[in-house]
Amino acid sequence: MSGGDNFGIHRGAARPQDDRTQGQILSDFLLQLEDYTPTIPDAVTSHYLNTAGFEANDPRIVRLISIAAQKFISDVVNDALQHCKTRTSNVSGSSHGSSKNKAGTKDRKYTLTMEDLTPALADYGITVRKAHYFV
Amino acid sequence: MEKQETQTTGNPRRKILHMAISSILMEKGFESAEKACVETLTEMLQSLLVEIGQSSRNYCELSGRTTPVIGDVVVALINMGISLQGIDSFGKRDSRHIIPTPQQASQQKQ
Repeated sequence: MSGGDNFGIHRGAARPQDDRTQGQILSDFLLQLEDYTPTIPDAVTSHYLNTAGFEANDPRIVRLISIAAQKFISDVVNDALQHCKTRTSNVSGSSHGSSKNKAGTKDRKYTLTMEDLTPALADYGITVRKAHYFV
Repeated sequence: MEKQETQTTGNPRRKILHMAISSILMEKGFESAEKACVETLTEMLQSLLVEIGQSSRNYCELSGRTTPVIGDVVVALINMGISLQGIDSFGKRDSRHIIPTPQQASQQKQ
């Protein structure tokens, strides 16, 4: 508790507490996974995990993996949506820019295209490319 | 040849992943999506599951165990750079869909 080796900077004390709360959140969440129905059925997730030689007795492990995988995909899709929104708003802004068009942006139907997905995945370090023989 | 057969009959597990991807897309606010995109994301989800399994198993075996524990999975996820921040709110969100477990009947038929 002495500030002698900390030179009066108290940042060091806050850090471990922050880590503990993060771990606390995770362990609380794991307890809740006991009676939780994931989006992807457990049987499907387990099959893909078994493909890799992973065999879990605890259904919580399978559920955690399935949620983590979906969250990753969900984050990617969210990025793609932002790309899509900025791209469409730029296009409409440059071509028309009238107030009527702005009202149309409110209930615009978004379509996921490779044009948006590719830069979103590139942010995660994933390069999407067709095989050279693919027409 | 084999690939064509799976395309026509449809891999049931793959179909479920397809449904999961579609529900995520709908939830995020996409009205429609290119087939190539959904297929890319499905492939990503599948390989992500396998990869997490493989990595977790390796960490488990590294510790001299045969049965994986949750800690192995957490280490594997962190090592893969998948953030666990906000995973609890993601798991408990209200808008999520639940894909019903497929019936076993098709297996008995074989």
